[in-house]
Amino acid sequence: MRKLEPMNKSQQIERRFSVLRTVLAIVISMAIAFILIVTVSDNPGKDFMTLLTGPLRNTSNLTAIISKMIPLLFTGTAICLVNSAGQINIAAEGAFFGGAVAATAVAIIPGIPSMIHIPLCILAGALAGSIVMGIPGILHVRYNAVTIVVALMINYVALYLGMYVILNPLRDPAAGFEASYQFAQSARLPYLFGNSRLHIGLLFGIAAVVIGYVVLYHTGFGLSARTVGKNQKFGTYSGMPVGKTIVGISVLAGALAGVGGTVETLGNYQRFMYGGFTNHGWDGVMLAVLCHNKPHYMPLAALFLAYIRTSADALNFTSNIPPEIINVIQAVIIILVAAERFLAGWEHKAIVGSTKRAMKAEGSAE
Amino acid sequence: MTEKQKLFDNVGIGEDMLSMEHITKIYENGFVANSDVNFSVRRGEIHGLVGENGAGKTTLMKVLFGQETPEEGRILIGGQEHKIESPLDALEYGIGMVHQHFMLVDNLSVTDNMLLGVEPVKGGIVYDRKEARRRVIEVSKKYDLDVDPDAIVGDLSVGYKQRVEILKILIRGAKLLLLDEPTAVLTPQEIKELFVQLKKLKEQGFSIVFISHKLNEVREICDRITVLRLGKSIGTADMTNITEDDITKMMFNRDVKLKIDKAPAKPQETVLKVRDLTFKDAQGKNAVSHVSFDVRAGEILGVAGVEGNGQAELADIIAGLLPIQSGDVLVNGRSLKSAKSIREIREMGVSLMHQDRMTYGASKDQSIEENIIADRYYQKQYKKFGLLNWKKVRQDSKEYVKEFVVKCEGPGAAVKTLSGGNIQKVVAAREFTTDAKFMLVCHPTRGIDVGAAEVIRKKIVALRDEKQTATLLFSADLGELLSVSDSLVVMYAGQIVAYFPDASQVDEQTLGEYMLGVKKQSDEEIGGVLFA
Repeated sequence: MRKLEPMNKSQQIERRFSVLRTVLAIVISMAIAFILIVTVSDNPGKDFMTLLTGPLRNTSNLTAIISKMIPLLFTGTAICLVNSAGQINIAAEGAFFGGAVAATAVAIIPGIPSMIHIPLCILAGALAGSIVMGIPGILHVRYNAVTIVVALMINYVALYLGMYVILNPLRDPAAGFEASYQFAQSARLPYLFGNSRLHIGLLFGIAAVVIGYVVLYHTGFGLSARTVGKNQKFGTYSGMPVGKTIVGISVLAGALAGVGGTVETLGNYQRFMYGGFTNHGWDGVMLAVLCHNKPHYMPLAALFLAYIRTSADALNFTSNIPPEIINVIQAVIIILVAAERFLAGWEHKAIVGSTKRAMKAEGSAE
Repeated sequence: MTEKQKLFDNVGIGEDMLSMEHITKIYENGFVANSDVNFSVRRGEIHGLVGENGAGKTTLMKVLFGQETPEEGRILIGGQEHKIESPLDALEYGIGMVHQHFMLVDNLSVTDNMLLGVEPVKGGIVYDRKEARRRVIEVSKKYDLDVDPDAIVGDLSVGYKQRVEILKILIRGAKLLLLDEPTAVLTPQEIKELFVQLKKLKEQGFSIVFISHKLNEVREICDRITVLRLGKSIGTADMTNITEDDITKMMFNRDVKLKIDKAPAKPQETVLKVRDLTFKDAQGKNAVSHVSFDVRAGEILGVAGVEGNGQAELADIIAGLLPIQSGDVLVNGRSLKSAKSIREIREMGVSLMHQDRMTYGASKDQSIEENIIADRYYQKQYKKFGLLNWKKVRQDSKEYVKEFVVKCEGPGAAVKTLSGGNIQKVVAAREFTTDAKFMLVCHPTRGIDVGAAEVIRKKIVALRDEKQTATLLFSADLGELLSVSDSLVVMYAGQIVAYFPDASQVDEQTLGEYMLGVKKQSDEEIGGVLFA
């Protein structure tokens, strides 16, 4: 681990305000949530408590939080990687979906031992994901295409190509609904503890976060990616392989998102059943913003989002509040936390004040 | 004429027209640019504002021009407190500023530039070009500042552009002109011309604030000066009763050595060879035209020239940012054409210091250590089990920070928390520690304080002596060129027009004549720069 250098006063204030900003954003959004709940609920007190503590009331809800976290760890980390390199590559959505489809194609093959079958599925998912997110990177480097546009479009290519594969060659006519053949038992992800419904995808998710962190902050490749993201011209002039870095980080991010799709599918379902985007990629974009693109904050951010989502489900079961309200609350939190200038005036005053005090202290010491 | 503009007219010549009291400006990162600064200007004077780079001169003027809001202090105009909210507001009061970097649109004409935003209008909507042209001619005649109203600004020389800038604020009714280092980009001849113009304006009752750190200029043109040091006002004095020595002491509070101690060069074999290099820019103009020269080991070759005469392109071609269109550049006999990337060029034993420090030289959001290892992080010495060896990185960075006297919290501090001089020291800590055979050094001390400049200049000379580095030095600071270089070439209009084998035998006036294209050496004399 890198040791943190002692920070100067201004940096300390900046750090403190960053925490304050997040806390205050959550408090304000909760207040807004409360107002919303009061206006639509028959029993606002009870419903508000459900929103706050609902996910903690029973173990099945706790498991639900963790389950919801798992895919977010992958897509969030993927977006952290590409964002760090200055690539607005939002194809994590398509990579996640593509990964799930590719994994399905491998998972329905019978007669492979589990020890080989699961790694094969993961490999297929990683490959599909890296193609989906790699393409915007390659097109940007080779033809100066605008990454976000290509990424947006490639998402749909991945979605409809995936749907075509699922609904044609892989479709199980005996299923009675639109779904693939059943996964071979050997491809299903085992549970962590007995019958907890918590699959080993959690371990992969944590591994994804660790990989993201180590690559970004402890490898030369990561250093060049972050440098390219901060100042590409500087990277070029220092002799960094800018193009390779951008393509490499896009491919790696895609692989992570693809494995996310794999793990989510093989861990929770018996066949491929998605009929459209799963939104995990978009959630990843949101989480990366919350984390300032630092993968090591991702578990906390993902936990937070999973918690809110589980609260929403709990409210849905126990009250007459429409689930849309929860989406509004989430949006408010993200907007407030992501707004960098929020509280900027106070922050500036605090820095000015502290500098003045330091000047005074220096003056009197002289 | 608005109420605000009348304020200055009520002030008699020689009386205080404007004063700034107790101005304190603290930037977002906690940097104190101005601390309790007092400053005043009289009507009809040229007031020098001097101080080292980073002393807070520009910030103080930006406060006066409404570009920065001070945390404390007030501005009095004609004895009454006024708030200047924005540059537009400042112009309404009659305060105009000419920035160091011109605010002109290159592809518009002089007329269009001068009246941009205040165009005369026909029938409420149509731009009245005829009237605009008439007004430009009128103003130009009135103040005896000659400009061609139809010339395209992009085609003009730097001195000419400056004239347009000054007219631009005069036409907007400025009575107080703030000139931020107006001579920094001019040749000696152009500076003379500017001074004549400024004196004329003064006689017509205009007041001018003249920012500079060149004492001879201040001596020549200013009536009074105010000295700033480290964000504080040290004092104001009449030029008649202050000596240059006094000013130097006020500015630095120490005796500054302007000369660099250095032994004569002992040049050895040729390291950099440039042959018949020609580069056509996007407009089809020969930015670099048939340039040939050599730089030998153990020698510093300076390149003089007014900015925009092909130096930037030449430097970028050598660095690999621009392609070699025709001709060749060889390092130790190997052509740069065979290098596929800047990393390959660097691995040939080349180090590169770009003139644009904040874009190509450093990454401001990253730490000092990340900036230092940006060119070498992939090397074995910084790897451990395939990962970056942060311990070694930190260890080395600490040593470099010490060696180059970078004032910082530690090697983990973000580059943006440093002052300009210290940022350049970080760049030097990277580029001067690569054991390079050839160093491309562009404007190494531009805009940084004297202390930092000294560290960097000394290091360039030390590398020449200790490692026999071949150095190609581009600089707009003639004093620096003359004191650091062993020999000199002058570039004009993309060509080399002069070669001086011994830089110590050249003076600024001579250089200026070649830089302006007044003189040109014979091909034989210029050919002296070729050795192998």
